[in-house]
Amino acid sequence: MTETSTMVPHVPAAGGRRLPAPRILLRTGALCLVTAMVYVFLYLPIIHIGLGSASRNTNFPYPPHWAFKAYADLFANALYRTALGNSILLGLGSAVLTVTMSTMAMIGVLRFAGRHARIFILLFVAPLFVAEVLVGISSLVLSGLFLGLPGNLFSAMLANSVHCFAYALLIMATQLYRYDWRLDEAAMVFGATPAQTFWLVTLPLIWPGLLGAFLISFILSFNNLEISFYLLGATPTLPSVAWGALRYGVKPELFALATLVNLTVLAGLAGMYVAMARGWAKFGHRPERGAAVG
Amino acid sequence: MYIKLEAISKAYGGLWAVDRISMDIGRDEFISLLGPSGSGKTTLLRTIAGLERPTRGRVLIDGADVTALPPHRRGVAMVFQEFLLFPHRTVAENLCFPLQMMKMPRAEIAERLKWIAGLMALTGLEDRYPSQLSGGQQQRVALGRGLVGRPKALLLDEPLANLDRELRQEMEVEIRRHQRELGIPFIYVTHNQEEAMSMSDRIAVIRGGRVEDFAGRAAIYDRPRTAFIAQFIGRSNRFEGTVSPDGSAMDAGGGLRLALVPGARTASFAGSRAQAYIKTEKMSVQPNTVTCRIRDIILRGAYCDYLLDAGGREIFASRPRSEADLARGDRVTVSWPAEAVDIFEPDTPRELAA
Repeated sequence: MTETSTMVPHVPAAGGRRLPAPRILLRTGALCLVTAMVYVFLYLPIIHIGLGSASRNTNFPYPPHWAFKAYADLFANALYRTALGNSILLGLGSAVLTVTMSTMAMIGVLRFAGRHARIFILLFVAPLFVAEVLVGISSLVLSGLFLGLPGNLFSAMLANSVHCFAYALLIMATQLYRYDWRLDEAAMVFGATPAQTFWLVTLPLIWPGLLGAFLISFILSFNNLEISFYLLGATPTLPSVAWGALRYGVKPELFALATLVNLTVLAGLAGMYVAMARGWAKFGHRPERGAAVG
Repeated sequence: MYIKLEAISKAYGGLWAVDRISMDIGRDEFISLLGPSGSGKTTLLRTIAGLERPTRGRVLIDGADVTALPPHRRGVAMVFQEFLLFPHRTVAENLCFPLQMMKMPRAEIAERLKWIAGLMALTGLEDRYPSQLSGGQQQRVALGRGLVGRPKALLLDEPLANLDRELRQEMEVEIRRHQRELGIPFIYVTHNQEEAMSMSDRIAVIRGGRVEDFAGRAAIYDRPRTAFIAQFIGRSNRFEGTVSPDGSAMDAGGGLRLALVPGARTASFAGSRAQAYIKTEKMSVQPNTVTCRIRDIILRGAYCDYLLDAGGREIFASRPRSEADLARGDRVTVSWPAEAVDIFEPDTPRELAA
């Protein structure tokens, strides 16, 4: 180091251009400010609902007058409980359906479609560009008039799967494109039946994609109103109850419910984060080709 | 014969990747399928494994027709070029996979695992994941996974192509030793003639989906049956010219006359055009005469290649380094025994295009 600086005295010893301290402070400060603003932008609506749910002045809780009557009302009202249960059922049902269909579709496209793969994928993804309301109305016509299905959770699951399929397919595509299908061949040569190959080799390697597709489908269906609205008949779900409530004035119970759902999700994410950081759980296998030792 | 291929053909989009190949392979033979890339050798291997269904022909293993059987019911095992170890399974779990598929009792699996880990020098690495192993160790796991279930045959698809030269030569010896000890047929696909030469009992040279020759390795090297084999195996000098009417010599032009071994083969070329190949190490190089000039000397370790200038014609000669102390520009004479000349009909335009 000393040698370098004696030979080339104009180059600073530490290498790289150092900013004076006040400018570093300014730069870091600006970065923090922008980051904070992005988070505020993202979380303000949720915080608003949270404050509203725990306050007497529900509609404009600034400053909040703390009161938890909304929560008491919520637990007293059976409608919300039914709606939550239905929403969860709807989410689970269409997520299972969607993940099964989209995984099979993507495997089929990647392995057997050959040079027509692009056409198949395009056709699978195209429904993304149809407005949800239209999917809902046409599904209603289809299941009501042609299939004779009554409006209930099941027909809502079917219609939501139509909508979620394209999202799930795209997630599965990113996972399956990276999958080396020759691993399946290796498994079969070593005596695995096609079913064993899937359970013992393919599935353990692609399940992060399946999980992602499942979560997205669940969330989309859980929160969906536009499609479910037409197919649920008299079955209440959270979005449909919220929508109904809107017409007669939003009740604080709804805020309380939304807050509870948000807190549950937050707790789940925090749990996952801790589990991963502590190494209790691994999410997916990462092949570290470059990291061979010895 | 233990494994029998009967007129196997495989069509891909109107082209025959494998074209009526028949082979008989004995129970304790080491066979190499040697050919350039795209010659159909891997397709043939995958047909034996059951990963490809032949368009025509039959595969028989141990007397049973397995042509219609899926891979998991054939009882053969395979070692792949990319190893294809299961990345989410440890070394032990990879090695035990074939045994688990056979529903072998747990105690026996443990015993086999101990045996194969010892055999493959993997003891102590059982709990590692493939990504934590070196290339050579991964190769050993792949080989061990192939052998642990004592398959009816082991199929190897260029398993050493991804290893460096030193490791490859080490593995060649090891693979050959395992084949001897286990007494099962190994069918080894490679485009590397050194690998084929070092391990095989017999070599099938494959080109354009057909077998050019299927013979013992010495015969393939010393008595090539076709011009393709002569130039593909080993390194050779090629001469073209006209064979004298009595079949005793070939005039290669520029005053170069190649004496030929008399016999039925050379007699059939009498008076017609022909091409001849001479392996570079069958040339001898002596100083103090004036036939050639050494244009360059390429050191290759134990031996060296002399690039010789014989009146404008380039000739390669490989000799042990210790044989003579020669330098670039030296005048030498080069000679070879008549038996070293392998003679073939000239290339037809179709073959040149291929």
